[in-house]
Amino acid sequence: MRRREITFLVLFVLLLGGSFALISYGWVNDHVIEPFTGLVAKTSGAVLNLLGQDVRMHGTILRGPRFAVNIRNGCNGVEAMLIFLSAVLAFPARWSSRLIGLVLGIVAIQLVNLIRVVALFLTGAYFPRFFDASHTVVWQTVVILFSVLLWIVWARRFAAPPEPAS
Amino acid sequence: MAASPPDNPADRGWSLRFLRNALLWLAPVWLVWTLLTPAYNRFLLGATENLLHLFESPDVTDLARHPSSRHEAYIVRRDFPPKRSLVRQLRVTDLHFHFVLLGSLFLAVPGLPWRKRLENFGLACLATVFFDLLLFAVWVKSVYATQLGDWSLAHYGPAARNLYGLAKHLLDLPFKLALPLLLWAGFYLGMLLGEPPPPPSPAARIQGTSRRKR
Repeated sequence: MRRREITFLVLFVLLLGGSFALISYGWVNDHVIEPFTGLVAKTSGAVLNLLGQDVRMHGTILRGPRFAVNIRNGCNGVEAMLIFLSAVLAFPARWSSRLIGLVLGIVAIQLVNLIRVVALFLTGAYFPRFFDASHTVVWQTVVILFSVLLWIVWARRFAAPPEPAS
Repeated sequence: MAASPPDNPADRGWSLRFLRNALLWLAPVWLVWTLLTPAYNRFLLGATENLLHLFESPDVTDLARHPSSRHEAYIVRRDFPPKRSLVRQLRVTDLHFHFVLLGSLFLAVPGLPWRKRLENFGLACLATVFFDLLLFAVWVKSVYATQLGDWSLAHYGPAARNLYGLAKHLLDLPFKLALPLLLWAGFYLGMLLGEPPPPPSPAARIQGTSRRKR
């Protein structure tokens, strides 16, 4: 394994562990993650109302006539965003390329996450027996796979050229 | 059929073929994972129980299968009164769905001989099995340290409670979800960086030469 590969792996693990340790602190959770999750809930509620679901929002809770759901860590897209962010920052590329990757990647991940929340709500409302498996296995896999594929495509496009052999 | 040579890293179609392959592999890998899940859950229960027993004296933890679900299990403590011995129910299947990601990513790499693809995937699966064992053991210990009320407070100090809580948080979320990416990068990052593939090992060179002679 070459030096750039080892550097990437070490940096990725450190950034990933550090960022997840940071969001597990109470203050960060209460002042950053919870409001962000509230925003995810509000947007999802708005989309569900556009689809005629008559959803009411209370903080991170979405309540409709057939189903209610509380959006918590794991369903707000933050995990996928942090994995993507750690991979982009650890990868050898120009800072401008990283910035482009982060902005476009985070927007794309949140769009997919919005589809996940809306789809999960509709699953809970109309196909409740599929909700558990969809929630924990299907959509987690889809969102993480999406962010990993996004990173691979970005890395392939923006990788810094290899260092010349000395 | 002859194995195709590794792709030129500058090939612009690589990303598209990789994306297409990853999406095409998703459903078959999912199916295989679904079929193997009951057997793998049984293996994880037995192996993790043995792993926990290495650090217990006497052995008190049983990881028991749920009587009616192939996905659920119970953590049982033999030293607790019978009424309280089932300390927690958990969904074992949730520990290892990252195999679906792993399979899709490792089988999707275009332009790599099938033998090499499967060899790398096998090694990655082995690493993932060890990770799952560690995750399950830490999961059980974090239940003991943080979720059993007065019993946890009496048997685990603040440092141990924080350590097990943080370890479970980090292993169960970021590292469980990012493990496929981490392993994939370990094998294939050079392809993204545009570096030439490493030269074959001396053994492989000798094998290749003798095959050509034949």
